[in-house]
Amino acid sequence: MPVIRTAVAPPAARRRGGIPPYIPLLIPAVAFMLLVYAFPFLSSIVTSFLDQQGVPSLSNYRRTVDLYARDIIFTLLVSVSNTAGTILLAIALAAYLRVRNSRMSRFIGHVYKLGIFIPFVVVAQMMRTFLAPHGLLNVTLARTGFIDIDSPLQLFNFSGLTFGFMWKLVPFAILIIYGGFQMIDNSYLEAARSTGAGFFAMVARILVPMNKSSILVATVLVYAQIVSCFTLPYMLLGGRTPTTITVDIAHRVTYFRDYGSANSLGVISYALVLVAAAYYLKTSVRQYRQGADNA
Amino acid sequence: MHSTRKRLIRLTMELVLLVTVLLVLLGPVLSLVLWSIAETWYWPHALPQQIGLQYWHQALGIHVSLAIGAVSILPALLLSISIALVTVLISMAITIPAGYALSKYRVPLGGLVLFLFLMPNAFPQMPVFVNLLRIYTRIGLAGTVPGVVIVHMLVGIVFGVWITSATFKSIPPGLQDAARSVGATKLITFWRITLPLAAPGLLASAVFVFIKSLEEFTGTFFVGLPFVTTLPMMLYSASGYNMQFASVIALVMLVPSVLFMVLVQKLLRAEYVGGMG
Repeated sequence: MPVIRTAVAPPAARRRGGIPPYIPLLIPAVAFMLLVYAFPFLSSIVTSFLDQQGVPSLSNYRRTVDLYARDIIFTLLVSVSNTAGTILLAIALAAYLRVRNSRMSRFIGHVYKLGIFIPFVVVAQMMRTFLAPHGLLNVTLARTGFIDIDSPLQLFNFSGLTFGFMWKLVPFAILIIYGGFQMIDNSYLEAARSTGAGFFAMVARILVPMNKSSILVATVLVYAQIVSCFTLPYMLLGGRTPTTITVDIAHRVTYFRDYGSANSLGVISYALVLVAAAYYLKTSVRQYRQGADNA
Repeated sequence: MHSTRKRLIRLTMELVLLVTVLLVLLGPVLSLVLWSIAETWYWPHALPQQIGLQYWHQALGIHVSLAIGAVSILPALLLSISIALVTVLISMAITIPAGYALSKYRVPLGGLVLFLFLMPNAFPQMPVFVNLLRIYTRIGLAGTVPGVVIVHMLVGIVFGVWITSATFKSIPPGLQDAARSVGATKLITFWRITLPLAAPGLLASAVFVFIKSLEEFTGTFFVGLPFVTTLPMMLYSASGYNMQFASVIALVMLVPSVLFMVLVQKLLRAEYVGGMG
């Protein structure tokens, strides 16, 4: 929105001497973030490189790799495959919502949002009842003859975790990607349709190429959420192996008070999201700056 | 002829999609509801043999008996709500000035400040909670309500600053300039013009921080257990031994989430809604 600045508009932060007004306004929030976030964040990195006597060493990382190499690989596998699955499914469903305009598609467009707002702890409890060996899913599958009633599917593992993550994150990804799809003018889709393009051609040739940024943002956010999530793997997998890094961190802390290994696992989890985090930080700061210039 | 068949195929496919979406979305919710009312449910029966509201009554404190291993959730619910209210009050007192400053002034090193507020969204927060626990243990905050409030404030402030600054930014500066030009002081302009215009956004931000606090799991797990039993903590421990009771708590926790979805989903950008659970 164009705004005509009047002559009396006080240019931001130009004052005659004294401290600029934004300093006292920002001090409480910044001080809080430094104390409660930045300090523990840095101390997690520093502590991971110190041994029990406080001498710089890589002993924590050696122990971590010895004990948890398998879990680190498992975490990476879960995060990458679930992110890929989530984004592909979300693109397909968002494209369906965008291209089709039927009563059914509008209905799905309303109900799909349910998962977004449900916290992970509730999702975890749902999945514990739904996916249990004797849970509703297995009972239903056995009743309808898809599985043998005496050998129910064991789902408190990679598969169940995938189902749980996708149940919550596909709707989240649809929200972002569909938002991008809505920016595309109808005329593009009509033109494609008039030349005989089918659904898949429209997705591959128009919707996806014109929405790379929203798809990338969704990918980054979904991936970071999966790597960081503690609640769902902890409640669903518990002490089973393999498990995710976040569950291992909790074990090191609650059972052994082993902050060294916990922090080296933490730093490894930072490393897993590094590229995604850099992209997120870069685009967010840029977006914010652009917003500030337009205001 | 050809086109009718094509349309029929498309309609069938759409119907299959609709049924699949509904089954996948609602199956787990239905499972939760069934467990919350199942008094007897033996494998491999498709439905519980005996249903009733026994667990609901216990959880809501209507009946008290030790027979089924459920307890009243009211103390945990009250604690959760109190923590959330205090978290909202302090968070808003900190984030409103910060959001205002970020939206109206060109802050030198502003990029660095933004960075600080974005970091918790970009990186896993768990290692931070772990090290907070260490610091807390040293200064006696571990396992205390104030310690938990501080962790919830961390979650609240990060989101709060973004929402409040976006809100202030959306107010056209012309209105404030007009007030200033007819002689209003800065403080009066803020109080009479800026704040009322920002009220809906600020309210949304407060509701959001409130819900985030009610739902917070990971931070409370590290710094609060075993002494601070919020509702999510109670759900977690019940989940280990009593499926029915845990399902009741999970359904109670759904209420604010669904209300929130209905109330403010249009006001918020997608990434704020997600969170890092």
